[in-house]
Amino acid sequence: MTKTSCKIVCPFCSLLCDDVTVSLDNNRFEVKNKNLSLCKKKIEFFNLDKNNRLTPTINNKTSSLRETISTTEKILKKSGDITIINHGVDMAGVRSMLRLASRYDCTIDHVNSKYLYNNIGLVQRTGYMATSLTEVKNRADVIIIFGNDIFKKSPRLVERISSGKSSLGFFKGKRKIILVGNFDANATKVARKIGLVVNLKTDIDMIPKILSQLMQRNDNSTFKLSKSLREIHNIVTKSTYLVASWSASDFNKSSNSERIINSISEFIVERNINYRAACFPIAGNLGDSTSSQVCTWMTGFPSRIKSYGNTFKHDRYLCDSELIQNNKTTDTVVHFSTLSDQKIKLNKSLKNIVLGHPKSKLSCIPDVFIPVGVPGIDYEGIMFRTDNVVSLPLKKIRDVALPTIDDIVREIT
Amino acid sequence: MNILLKSGKVYDPKNKIFGKKKDIFVTDGMITSKEKIKGKIDSIIDCTDKIVMPGAIDLHTHIGGGKVNIARLMLEEFHTDNEGKYDSSNIIAPTTIKTGLKYIEMGYTSCFEPALLPINARQAHSEMSDIPFIDKGGYALLGNDDFFLDLIKKNSSQSMINDYVAFILNASQSLGIKVVNPGGINAFKFNQRALDVDEKSKYYDITPRKIISVLTRAIYDLGIPHPLHVHCSNLGIPGNFLSTIETIKAAGGLPMHVTHIQFHSYGNNGDKKFSSASVEIANILNNTDNLTCDVGQIMFGQTVTMSGDSMSQHKNHKHAHPHKWMCMDIECDAGCGVVPFKYRDNIYVNAMQWVIGLEIFLLANDPWKIFLTTDHPNGGPFTSYPHLIKLLMNKTFRDDILAQLPPDVQKHSVLKSIKREYTLNEIAIMTRSAPAEILGLYKKGNFSFGSDADITIYDTKINDIEEMFAHPSMVLKNGTVVVKDGKIKEYLWGKTHTVKPDYDESIQKTLSKYFEKNHTMSLENYQISNQEMIDHIGSKVETTDCKYSRKQ
Repeated sequence: MTKTSCKIVCPFCSLLCDDVTVSLDNNRFEVKNKNLSLCKKKIEFFNLDKNNRLTPTINNKTSSLRETISTTEKILKKSGDITIINHGVDMAGVRSMLRLASRYDCTIDHVNSKYLYNNIGLVQRTGYMATSLTEVKNRADVIIIFGNDIFKKSPRLVERISSGKSSLGFFKGKRKIILVGNFDANATKVARKIGLVVNLKTDIDMIPKILSQLMQRNDNSTFKLSKSLREIHNIVTKSTYLVASWSASDFNKSSNSERIINSISEFIVERNINYRAACFPIAGNLGDSTSSQVCTWMTGFPSRIKSYGNTFKHDRYLCDSELIQNNKTTDTVVHFSTLSDQKIKLNKSLKNIVLGHPKSKLSCIPDVFIPVGVPGIDYEGIMFRTDNVVSLPLKKIRDVALPTIDDIVREIT
Repeated sequence: MNILLKSGKVYDPKNKIFGKKKDIFVTDGMITSKEKIKGKIDSIIDCTDKIVMPGAIDLHTHIGGGKVNIARLMLEEFHTDNEGKYDSSNIIAPTTIKTGLKYIEMGYTSCFEPALLPINARQAHSEMSDIPFIDKGGYALLGNDDFFLDLIKKNSSQSMINDYVAFILNASQSLGIKVVNPGGINAFKFNQRALDVDEKSKYYDITPRKIISVLTRAIYDLGIPHPLHVHCSNLGIPGNFLSTIETIKAAGGLPMHVTHIQFHSYGNNGDKKFSSASVEIANILNNTDNLTCDVGQIMFGQTVTMSGDSMSQHKNHKHAHPHKWMCMDIECDAGCGVVPFKYRDNIYVNAMQWVIGLEIFLLANDPWKIFLTTDHPNGGPFTSYPHLIKLLMNKTFRDDILAQLPPDVQKHSVLKSIKREYTLNEIAIMTRSAPAEILGLYKKGNFSFGSDADITIYDTKINDIEEMFAHPSMVLKNGTVVVKDGKIKEYLWGKTHTVKPDYDESIQKTLSKYFEKNHTMSLENYQISNQEMIDHIGSKVETTDCKYSRKQ
């Protein structure tokens, strides 16, 4: 390929930004946007060099694709109980995973399920008032962000909801951002780019109590609030469209993450009795939304499912891949990984088959490794954004002869 | 592959064939004549003692898109049974696979998602592509998106609005345009809780009447076969029949399809301030040219309501059963609400809703103007269609159920006095020929030569009409036997029907700037190409011609 440049849809975080410009030179790409250091690092990580795993291996020995697929089939046929772990794939990858699971009666889990269920649990317990990214950008005059780490997980969140002069003009005056949790000074600095910031430092387990106090104040004007809560209360009561945002994994250190998320939702539901407000949860960065959407429409369940003949059943605990591996109730694990830059932990005492991108970091040598392309870099595809309503088309920008996950699964099934 | 369906009792209303004994020839997936068959007949299907109809068409069923998937996710406890491939859900929020299986088992071969948000079109089509057997399509939602409302506010020309409507149809790969609670969903985002037909929205200063008028004109000017598909203002509110009539008048005589009209036919008389206005609504349907409707019949039992009408759904959330619900504001484009609900036959209002739907069916004179729907799953699951057909065809059966409802219901209803029983001809019209015609699908819903060989064969030896319609003895999709004696014989994947009117491409420049400034994705990524439909979404596209060249 000659030197050129193009815009990509970045598949490496749940915001799926489609304004990232990369220059291309002999299949190497470089992010050209300014001030995208975290994203740049993440995207450029996928540039290849000669040390990467571009050929299939069986027990770390280079093998032909045909031989590797044949060995994979033999392992799967001999296996008593197979688990598929999704470390991040596009829509076609999830469809393939379901096909493979159906063929070999596998369990499917997503590596981020425990975080995913924090938010999904809210839908299944009570439901909630939700909004989406463009609504937040144009309509939210007050945004409360709960947690501690959201800006590191979604580096461009602030930029993406920043409307400035370019909004539809639904609210006047300066936007206000309320941070509730353990946000550091840098988070305040980042949030200040889009509005006036109030940073309420608190233990995340205090969030339900804080919100309860704000609601009691609504019901009873004589209910006394601390100075900082009075300030928050004043801002909230003047809001025309209040948005509450969080990243579910921020609450995992809490003794009761469900209680925190429930309390945020209740606060927003109550606000909607007379005003408008909505929740905007941020999903994980490994295709969590894509996985949950496709699994839900094809099986009725977002994750942690097991195929039994012609049907899928769901059990949040019995299909927990970590538990299954630790308890050795599975003998073979198939890892699907096209987006992760994190080390994938393999259990040495089990058979491990990895369908992974060439830069996959693995904790030990798998029985089989089949290199596959990266959606949005090596092949076209579709992924879902954090709000679960927008899905975007991914482009192919690199010309490397790597199969897709779907190509491999079609051979196996 | 040549097939002969021999000696069936054929119902083909478009060709004025009503129960006549006849042979039907199929070659390469299409209906043909005996004379045009080349070579030998490969398969003869004996249709003696069988009724042969074109495959049924559901023109309003929520089968794909964000709100459908929210319902599946929310109602985890409903997914309990063990039938079918990839399937563990029941019929209230069925998986894609189960949706296809249940439709094809009943002889339905084409189904249309009526609330396809343009911004969510990629998801809706992806879901629908995973529904086996049936052909599908969707109606793009307009009338609550900020770009459109701003066009009206700025007094933009009808021609520019037409360009926008045409662009949306192309970009979202849709077959028609639907408006839900015109302007109301948008007004809810600005904290308005109601919007009557002649009430102005606070922010845009626009009435629902204006939105209806502009959109019906756009559809007419562009020559789009399916009229504007309208979910009227004030859904579910006692006394709303008046605003329904005003909404119909807003079309100014241009074609309009009013959907789930049962939910919009309520009076507010009587001591319970809730009554039937079926007579008034049927009267306007019978006397207004260019007006069609589907009923949205309710069925007693558990279901889940899902709608783009976030204003109404938020209002209704206190009735949720089980008690959980979700509403969403979506991308300055639309909204949605999902509220599970149980219709109870011992509750006056629910029983009246059941009565009102049936009254409208039975008081409507012309089966070409009224279509059989439950607004799946809002009024009840689509699997209740055979039961509904029996209610329409059998007065005794209908009266027996009516007698079990609260005594007040009978006092406030004309249902008992209606003697009409639908005939098989009329059922064939309202479930086949009429929906095909109103959607502009000229190769569907009939046995004309060249039409798709989507065929349902019923056994006349089954005495119970509900049982007969629930379990056709055979279903052919594109000339392939997919169901025989209740068993799936072969999996097929249908195509997506679209319409692609012309537009002035300068609208794209305007929209591109608008997206860059206000949206969070580019216009380029908003649009879905035919190639993307095939390569990634997973469905072939069939484009229906517009009725005529664009008028302005």
